[in-house]
Amino acid sequence: MLHSRIIELNKENKDVFTLKFDSTIAAMPGQFIMIWAPGGKEIPMSLSDTSNPPTITFRTFGETTKTIAKLKVGDRFFYRGPYGNSYPVPTGRVAYVAGGTGLASINAMLLKYRGDVYVGARTKEDLFLLRNDFKIATDDGSAGFKGTVIDLFLPHVNEYDYIFVCGPEPMVKTMLDRIDRKIKAKVYISLERLMKCGVGICDSCSINGVRVCKDGTVFSMEEVLSLSEFGVYKRNEAGKIEFFVNGKR
Amino acid sequence: MASISTKIGRFSLENPVILASGILDETSGSILRSLKSGAGAAVTKSIGTEERKGYQTPVISEIGTGLLNAVGLSNPGIDNFVEEYRNFPEKKRTIVSIFGGKVEEFVSLARKVEGIGFDKVELNLSCPHVKGVGSEVGQDLGMVEEIISEISGKTNLQIWAKLTPNVTDLISLAKASEKADAYVLINTLRATGVEIYSRKFVLSNTVGGYSGPGVKPVALRAVYDVYKETGKDIIGVGGITTWQDAIEFFLLGAKAIQVGTAILYEDYPIFNKINSGIRDYLDKEGFSKLDDLVGVMVGDAAFKNH
Repeated sequence: MLHSRIIELNKENKDVFTLKFDSTIAAMPGQFIMIWAPGGKEIPMSLSDTSNPPTITFRTFGETTKTIAKLKVGDRFFYRGPYGNSYPVPTGRVAYVAGGTGLASINAMLLKYRGDVYVGARTKEDLFLLRNDFKIATDDGSAGFKGTVIDLFLPHVNEYDYIFVCGPEPMVKTMLDRIDRKIKAKVYISLERLMKCGVGICDSCSINGVRVCKDGTVFSMEEVLSLSEFGVYKRNEAGKIEFFVNGKR
Repeated sequence: MASISTKIGRFSLENPVILASGILDETSGSILRSLKSGAGAAVTKSIGTEERKGYQTPVISEIGTGLLNAVGLSNPGIDNFVEEYRNFPEKKRTIVSIFGGKVEEFVSLARKVEGIGFDKVELNLSCPHVKGVGSEVGQDLGMVEEIISEISGKTNLQIWAKLTPNVTDLISLAKASEKADAYVLINTLRATGVEIYSRKFVLSNTVGGYSGPGVKPVALRAVYDVYKETGKDIIGVGGITTWQDAIEFFLLGAKAIQVGTAILYEDYPIFNKINSGIRDYLDKEGFSKLDDLVGVMVGDAAFKNH
């Protein structure tokens, strides 16, 4: 376990925070760390800036994130990592497609490489880390296009050489079901799964024997398409199979 | 080239390197990956009667000499396991690890495992950090004897007994387990870890199991003691990271070995790496087969192939 100090803790919107911590780490965009609230849980978190000092950007959805959001500048911050692989370096025209807090991981790319950014959220209030040129989709139409980020993005799919995607599994599954698999672009997807160890030994995040934490989190579209369990079912903390609502059996 | 095939009870393995229970063996996809990566066999994560989430994170902590873990026997429960593994293609090379708190639970689990076509179980009599099961059962010699004798009387399963090293008298425990087809030695050592800047325990459960390179000498001693005393088939496990480690276990009586924590360091290539190291050693040292190496350092070799 590594320990550091919090340098900045900013509120991005009603429940999203960016935390900068005083560490020097060798990380690449797409990599994650395991953050720990002492006495509480340890959870995986994408780095939203992989330069030094690094940052994480997170939504307060659970006990650990809520505890960490209440910390103050100067407080200790505990983590281990970085872990996982990273996004490849893009060339040509680049698109980024982010759903929900998937933008945190994509943000680390945006700090290094240019490209068009397509962001999806439920409502205007859920958006964060926005820049003027982002193309926005909201489920309720309160900002930008009314609909999903996939609906917004897919008509433009042929304009790009590299496409980076990060978001919830059902969103990625929808995209894979609808995307033209013969497009010229190279598509890379960062996956999310329940993780316990973060280092490739506990098997909690495995999809068809592929570990999101160690073999990923970034996979090529072809790799993801080869995973028959992807988008169909995930595992709970007991390792029990749980089907996605729209997962086809 | 020397043969590295081996035999545990009636089970013939193409090679002696087995995936240990608890590491990358909860999902069927991962078990297949280990077998495709060169493991001679694989043991599943321990399965109990009911779905169990295990402990909250942190469930692992890396330390300089190995790994602390208290995952807490998370498992989907036998009925969900049966559902997932009903059509599993590698049932002969996969050993199902089961745990329970009562004799009847073990028997019922064993029957369900046999019911879908598996022919081997590993009895988790040794998990050091869950109340009422694992090593708490595994220290009760009478109960251990009864579990093994009931399963062997009521099923045709081959039984591997994974024993706890957290006892003062391992030999008596081994003797209580002598109806098993083989012993698996050792499980993790009961241990804990401290984070000094938060002044908290590193595992949410406070106490867990210690595995990895640091426990190897303890495991070697356990294998040596039990082999010398019983001559039974032993699968050595505990800190094996290199082929040299594996050779040490064979010399003291193990007929096969398991790797777990080492996957953290070497990942899936470890199976082929250890196997080719063993083969090379046998060739260079003039042994034609692995079996000729088993127990050669244990004084009275009369037990061999008893």
